[in-house]
Amino acid sequence: MLKNYFKVAIRNLWKSKGFSLLNILGLAIGLATCMLILIYVRNDLSFDRYNKNFARIYRVDADIIFGGSHLVLAAGPDPLGPTLKRDYPGVEQYVRFHDRGGLMVKRGDENISENRVIYADSTLFEVFSLPMIEGNPSTALVAPHTVVITESMARKYFNSVHALGKTMIFNGSDLYRVTGVIRDIPDQSHFHFDFFLPMSQDDQSRRNFWLGGNFNTYILLRPGTDPATVASHFEEMVNRYAGPQVQQAIHSSLAELKAKGNNFGYSLMPLGRIHLYSNKVGEFEPNGSIEFVYIFSVIALFILLIACVNFMNLSTARSSLRSREVGIRKVLGSLRKALIFQFLTESILVAAASLVLAVGIAFLMMPYFNQLSRRHLRLGLFTDPWTIPGLLLLMVLVGGVAGSYPAFYLSGFRPIQVLKGKLAAGFRRSNLRNTLVVFQFFISIVLIIGTIVIDSQMDYIRHKKLGFNRDHVLIINNCYPLNDNARAFKAEVLQMSGVQDATMTGFLPTGGNRNDNSFFKSSSLDQNGAIQMQTWTIDEDYIPTLGIGISAGRNFSRQFHTDSTGVILNQAAVKLLGWSDPVNKKLYTLKQFGSQELIAYHVVGVIRDFNFNSLRKEVTPMGLFLGNNNGNLAIRINTNDISGLIGRVEHQWKIMAPGQPFSYEFMDDDFNKIYQAEERTGKIFVSFAIFAILIACLGLFGLTVYAAQLRIKEISIRKTLGASVSSILSLLSMDFLKLILIAFLVASPVAWWAMNKWLQGFAYRIGLSWWIFLSAGILAIMIALLTVSVQVIRVAATNPVNALRSE
Amino acid sequence: MIELNNISKWYAVGGNRNYVLRDVKFSVREGEFVSIMGPSGSGKSTLLHILGLIDEPSEGYHYFMGEAVHLLKEKQRSNLAKANIGFVFQAYHLIDELNVYENIETPLIYHNVKGSERKAMVADMLDRFQIVGKKDLFPSQLSGGQQQLVGIARSLIASPRLLLADEPTGNLNSRQGEEIMELFRKLNSQDGVTIIQVTHSEKNATYGKRVIHLLDGKIEKETQE
Repeated sequence: MLKNYFKVAIRNLWKSKGFSLLNILGLAIGLATCMLILIYVRNDLSFDRYNKNFARIYRVDADIIFGGSHLVLAAGPDPLGPTLKRDYPGVEQYVRFHDRGGLMVKRGDENISENRVIYADSTLFEVFSLPMIEGNPSTALVAPHTVVITESMARKYFNSVHALGKTMIFNGSDLYRVTGVIRDIPDQSHFHFDFFLPMSQDDQSRRNFWLGGNFNTYILLRPGTDPATVASHFEEMVNRYAGPQVQQAIHSSLAELKAKGNNFGYSLMPLGRIHLYSNKVGEFEPNGSIEFVYIFSVIALFILLIACVNFMNLSTARSSLRSREVGIRKVLGSLRKALIFQFLTESILVAAASLVLAVGIAFLMMPYFNQLSRRHLRLGLFTDPWTIPGLLLLMVLVGGVAGSYPAFYLSGFRPIQVLKGKLAAGFRRSNLRNTLVVFQFFISIVLIIGTIVIDSQMDYIRHKKLGFNRDHVLIINNCYPLNDNARAFKAEVLQMSGVQDATMTGFLPTGGNRNDNSFFKSSSLDQNGAIQMQTWTIDEDYIPTLGIGISAGRNFSRQFHTDSTGVILNQAAVKLLGWSDPVNKKLYTLKQFGSQELIAYHVVGVIRDFNFNSLRKEVTPMGLFLGNNNGNLAIRINTNDISGLIGRVEHQWKIMAPGQPFSYEFMDDDFNKIYQAEERTGKIFVSFAIFAILIACLGLFGLTVYAAQLRIKEISIRKTLGASVSSILSLLSMDFLKLILIAFLVASPVAWWAMNKWLQGFAYRIGLSWWIFLSAGILAIMIALLTVSVQVIRVAATNPVNALRSE
Repeated sequence: MIELNNISKWYAVGGNRNYVLRDVKFSVREGEFVSIMGPSGSGKSTLLHILGLIDEPSEGYHYFMGEAVHLLKEKQRSNLAKANIGFVFQAYHLIDELNVYENIETPLIYHNVKGSERKAMVADMLDRFQIVGKKDLFPSQLSGGQQQLVGIARSLIASPRLLLADEPTGNLNSRQGEEIMELFRKLNSQDGVTIIQVTHSEKNATYGKRVIHLLDGKIEKETQE
């Protein structure tokens, strides 16, 4: 019996090749897109799971409110880890990471800049599962001047993974012995370091300074330990250890600070949540976001639903062609059950064909998708034991869901009606089908609106006036090696033609250094007048080079010797301080934490706010201080011969910093990097939205084909009565346009709600204006109309006699 | 074999009943060859469908093979029909996606006949109708007469006691029609199959031993040869 069904199914599919192609292709595109999204989401959800102790590892994060700033850190003070292990038996082990910047690694005659460098406790390998190819994990990071490297670094510097015991030269002259080679850290890790240096060499790690926050601290809990119990000890720990140090530093007890709304607390972040839920200060890498995992999962589901709906609609619409078969089979003695089974077999067959095609499509799309998402995803058809059963399940599910309605619908035909020639009563009157079309377009319109909003917001960010001019700014990276030559180098560069201005500092709005400190309005260090703000060390050319506006006072000048104790505030700082006339007012800060000595700064000027964070955040208070910082040289250029200029700058660099790597960037590129993740996810969203719309259109196209087929007699009669092609077009389109209009009315508020929610994540955002919705509606109608008219015009243009003769 | 008692069939149109059949009363004995005649809309096809158990009368008593059909449930009725009735249609109603062999085989599948047996039975039938050479062709590759031949072969494959034919020659030319009618006569006289046919043609009606004339849903007269 099954054989008979298969035969009929295959012949049926073959007979109506166009329909089958439409059905299989639509379903295949849907399945392929869905597969890609699921792989992506699964990848996102499996971060850090390569660790054997995955479920027992937690990061200890600091949450500090002080001086009007709320700091949420992915790190804690240096004594935190050791103290937790010593005082609380539930903590089995800890490991701290301290990021102290990159290294110059010598290979032959050249120095290569490596940035994936971290100081780590020797307990690293007890907490994280980083398999060692060579070396002893328990001793590898104990002694100073040792280094553990990844296998790709071993290959890079020694042309072999066997690097144990070999010597590396860092920063020109420091000798390090390789004590371990580990496998490369998996893609799905929230950190990727290539060089692990021993914490024993980091003096800061032994300061016992509770008021800092530079150590990313991970703890491994003993099996069965409740993290909440560990966390419940944090307050007591802060009081015992940090309290006295606070008292000493600012002559105020923790309790007093807290009474004034400040806070000093810690929390546990499970390892499994870091990648998707943590976006704190001091993360090693920009993390993903659970928001997008949800959004993508929903899109995947939507796309699959649209594809299934297509299948259902096309199958039932085509029912007229199958109804005779149903009638005959019933007369020949088939029970309804058998017919349902037959149609389900057919739809699962179609699903199977689609699945095979979908795997092919997904395979072809994978490289593009990886490019788009910056991942290294693979289909994992045979490597992942869940893939094939998962796909088969998906096939049966899709085949079953998509086939169930046609199966029940078709098998319910009464044989005599069918055989008498009364075809499936209402193609137009099927409410369910109409509802499904509305549903498809509802999703499509929501996605179109989402696409427009995301695109506009991205565009807004790209072109927003940030308060500084990021165009035509060339940045020479890492100028520290210039040492005493830094000023001379800047002077030389300023002499070059095509250079308008230049400033030497590590503090740039598009990234680089960040530093903040507390300041007080009075020398009594009264907490009420405290402000936590960014403190940036710049030179006198900074403001003109970056084109930052001055709203009061003046820029720094070397002519005023007192400017070394001057400060230029931004408007956000002035606002928080509550000053109406800030110029010449004084701000106090401790010369050093723990000492009693104060430094007084006088306000020289006020600059207009400029954005130095992601536009997701408001501009925070900032003070600019005159000093020497050789982090970068930012050059404002006014020439078209950029490569020539770069060549001359590099030439000068080689004279003044021989043997040191020269690298440069453009400020607008740096700026774009901040939004790369955002842009990427935006682009992925847009691509998927396009796929969803495409699939919906395939379905609509199929429906029109059959609508026209069923109404061909009506069309022919109308034509013999003198109807024009356009009037027939509008007659047939009107049915669908009505549905799209309903979909639009339902979709608009839903999309408004969703996109409004998304935009809340940006401090600077576009408004949701009516034109976005209108254009999405018009676009949907245009797409639908285009899809419909291709077919309708063909039908409308045929000779009516052909249709009428067959009656 | 068949007994109809005061069978009526109506459709509610507005508040009125629109009668298709009205108080039809007749019986058919095993082995008879009956023709039903009448103009368009006289209720011939409806009557045939009721006889074939694929339509139900609005009221009346209907006995078939000793069973009170009007008391049976859908499934029982369906099984009764499956076991005893074969259908031949004016429009042949072959399944386009199946070839001649498979079309003839289909009823056996629904009768749960085993594969090897099916093969033998279909081969037998192909032989009998001399269409062995056409067994791999699809309906669209056959002439109308050939299609009807296949349709009849299919209706007989499960050895029904009753063959119902709804204008079996309606779409055929006269020569093909005659051949089909000759076949019917043979089936009736040699194989003892009870046949009830609906026809427009006076000539074809004469193949039957009894002719029932329908007019406006009522039996107008009955003629016997």
